[in-house]
Parts: sequence; C-alpha cells; structure tokens
Amino acid sequence: MGRGRSSAATLGAIAALVVLGAMPYIARSDWTLGAAAALRHDNNVGNAESPPDIVGDSTIDARLSIFQLFPLGESYSVTVGGDLNGEAFRKLTGLNNASLDGTISLKKKWGLGAFAPWARAGVSVERSSYDYSYRNAWNYRATLASGRRIDERWNLWAEYAFDRRVASPRTEEAPGLSGDAFSQDSHNVAVNVEYSLNESTFLALGLLGRRGDVVSTAGDSEKINYAPRALAEDPAFGPEAYAYKLTGTTYGFRVGVNYAPTPHSLLGLGFERLNTHADGGNSYTKSVPEITWDYRFR
Amino acid sequence: MNRLLAAAAGLMLLWGAQPGGAAELRALVKDHRGKLIANAVILAAPLDAKSALRAKPPADAVDQVDKQFVPYVKPVFVGSKVLFPNSDHVRHQVYSFSPAKRFELPLYAGTNAQPVVFDKPGVVVLGCNIHDWMVGYIYVSETPFFAKTESAGTAAIDDMPPGEYTVRVWHPSMEQGEETTARRVILNADGPSTVEWELSLKPALRVPRVTGSASAGYP
Repeated sequence: MGRGRSSAATLGAIAALVVLGAMPYIARSDWTLGAAAALRHDNNVGNAESPPDIVGDSTIDARLSIFQLFPLGESYSVTVGGDLNGEAFRKLTGLNNASLDGTISLKKKWGLGAFAPWARAGVSVERSSYDYSYRNAWNYRATLASGRRIDERWNLWAEYAFDRRVASPRTEEAPGLSGDAFSQDSHNVAVNVEYSLNESTFLALGLLGRRGDVVSTAGDSEKINYAPRALAEDPAFGPEAYAYKLTGTTYGFRVGVNYAPTPHSLLGLGFERLNTHADGGNSYTKSVPEITWDYRFR
Repeated sequence: MNRLLAAAAGLMLLWGAQPGGAAELRALVKDHRGKLIANAVILAAPLDAKSALRAKPPADAVDQVDKQFVPYVKPVFVGSKVLFPNSDHVRHQVYSFSPAKRFELPLYAGTNAQPVVFDKPGVVVLGCNIHDWMVGYIYVSETPFFAKTESAGTAAIDDMPPGEYTVRVWHPSMEQGEETTARRVILNADGPSTVEWELSLKPALRVPRVTGSASAGYP
C-alpha cells in the first residue's frame, strides 16, 4: 500500500532519457515533437456523490509527444507516436502520476484535401505509475473516429473508444467482493464540432457519453455498498476512504476556445461538465475548467 | 523575378516600338484602417493589344518550407512552368482543384516533382493532402506587368512601355471582386506613377496546424 515514488520517478526518468536521446535524431528526421501543459481544477476528483466525500483539487499536467506520419499512397496514412505525461495534484499528492504510451493509427481519406471525409482506427497502450503504487495500471484504448471539415469554418467529427484499465487486484475488504476496484472497462462516444471565429481563434463543443465502470471514492457509504462490483481501500484520499467500482452511465459536454498566437502553438480555455448515474443510485457530477497550451516544434 | 520578367517584357516592347524610354508604376495597398497589406498582386494590362507580348514565360518556383508554401502568394505569367521543390524532411502531396489549373503531384521529397505549366489565367489555390493547413496561391497573370506587395504594402513595376494601362489588384482575402479595383492610368517616361488601393479583407481562415488535446488528435 505504500507510496510508489521510486516507481513513478523511474518511469519518468527512463521516458525522459528516451525522449532526450531521440531528440538529435528527431531534428533530422520526419518525426514531429510536441509539448503541452495544462492547468485544471476538478471539483470532484473522487467521483463522489455526498458532499462530505467530495474532494476538489487542481492539477498541473505536462506532456511531451512524438509522432511520425507515414503516407501510404493517396488515401491512407499510418501515424505512430507516443506520449510522456506527468500530472501533479496540489492536495491529493498520492495521485501524482507519470505515464508513457504508444499509439498507432490508420487513417483513410476519401479524396484530396482538407475537406475530404476521413476515418481513423487506432490502438494505444499506456503504462501509468502513481505516487500511491496501488493505482498503477496498464491502459489500453481502441478508437474509431470519422469526420469531415465542412468548410473553412466548420469541422465535425465523432469518435468511439473502448478503454480498458488493468490494475493489480487489492486485498478483499468484504467477503466475496473483489478487491480489483481500479481495473475498469468503458465504452466512450463523443461528437465534436469546431468553429473558426477568425484566423487564429477557434471555438469547440463536444458532446460526450460513456458507459462502463466508474470508481467512486468515498467513506464507508451504505448507499454505495448496495451495488459495488469491487471495493478497495483508497488511501490517496485519506485513511478511511474506499474506492467502489460501479457500473455507470455518463453524459456531458465540453466547450472551449482556442487561440493560436503562432502557427506552432495553441492556447486554450476549456470547461467540461459530466453527469454520471451509477447503478445502486450513486450519482455524481463533476466540472473541470482548464487552461491549456500546446506547442508543436515542427 | 517579377521585376525581371517585367523588365524583359518591357525591353522587348521598347526594342521595336517605344523609343521614348521606360515608365514605372508604383502601388500602395492598405485596408480601411490604414494597415499596409502584403501579398497583394498588382497587375497592369496595356490597352494596346500589340503590347500584350511575346515574352517567353520563365520557369518559377514555389517551395515548401516548414510545412508551408513559400511564398504564400506567387504571381506568374501565363504559360509559366512552376517547380515545387520540397525543402522539408517530410514528403508532400501538392494539389489544386482550381478551375485555372487542376493538378496533383503524387507524394514526393526533394526536387523530384515534375514542373507544372500554368497555361490559363486565374487564381490557383494550392494545398497539401498530407498537411491540411498548407495553403498557397498562384496568380496566373495574362499580362507580363505585375508585382507583389511587400510587408510595407508597396510594389513597383518598372521598365514598362509608356502608354495607357488598366491596373488592378488582387489579394487572397479581398472581399470585393478583382474587377472592381480596375483603373485606367497613363504611364509615361517622365517619372513613376503611383496608384493606391484601399481593400476590405475578410479573415483568412485556415485549418489550424496545432490542435488541442480535445481535438481530432494525431493527424
């Protein structure tokens, strides 16, 4: 149950070495390097329903990305890439984490140019390492996306993703109830629209839906106890906190405005609102405002 | 290159028909707020049809640097061959759907692409099928007398045969039609004539190069 500082630090150090070692190669190759940072506030980090259990916190997130696009003839392209990500919480420091992922995707365009409809299928594998190591997990994601830029102003696309998170099962807290609370499967859909206000300002709206496992962290709540499929201690939220794995449905939206001060960078303000109804009557909401910065070196 | 072309064409005219010396046209282009406008193409068409030329169209080039077309706007004389060298490390697939010239250069790197002959006057919008944000313009001029404004909003066409011309301006973002900017000017060898335009520009909407984490993600 102890903290896994060495685990997260080791993963971060290895990934940083890989990226730094690759940079001279990147400089003279087709690889594209990107960096991003975000400042977020999640008003309900633990997905709790009852006010005493609700914990809000702010995070700083930094990411390095590297990818290469391989055109395969006129219609297809393959993108191979990876991200190194670090996230630090202001109060819930046990949730500080580093992750490293690899992604491969195949994209098809029907026609030439920016307005041709497209579809993309991709898979990614991510290893995330937390300050509290019991939350360490492998994350697998398969995505299908399709979209079309209608004109210079309007861009539409939709995405389906299947997420699987595999964590190590924990000790059973209740007889017959699994301790594997941090492994989750979910189906996610999103419909997105972007609108170009002018040369450098873009508005974004996304409608989100999700069905699958959710983890609510709360005290020893009788209400939640009716329905959990797994239960485990969650000391990152405190000594009496328990993580309840439930099945739930989430609906929400994301709005944002992005501003490109240069062709290589993007500043964004975003807001996400999610409402979840979990089996057993556990319902919760969360709001996440964020400030983001993205930079693409080439 | 434009000045060279204009100079060459002008010399050819002067050789046979213009013993009185060369004329010069200067242009200044700005918007309604007085902001100076770059990348505006100034065109001067002689009213004398005989002056409409025997100049041999030159070879020209539009490069691709940092996944952008360079220059953003390129005026060429009708019939010109244009090369599309690729100075990037990545391959590009240049195309145009414009009625003035439809073409596609299959994926290539370096200088492997065949030159494209622009044999019809008009505006040709360039794109890259791999990098959607890449946009460029080739203005195919039917007159050899043209120039492009620099960042100071100015352009000059020198070594022109004196005479009467229709001058006009084109810009990729202009709201009004190009024909509405047409004016008659008489150029003589006494000194340069200056023409000013005030254009209304609409936003130059482009596909963003960097997308946020909530956007469509990897290209």
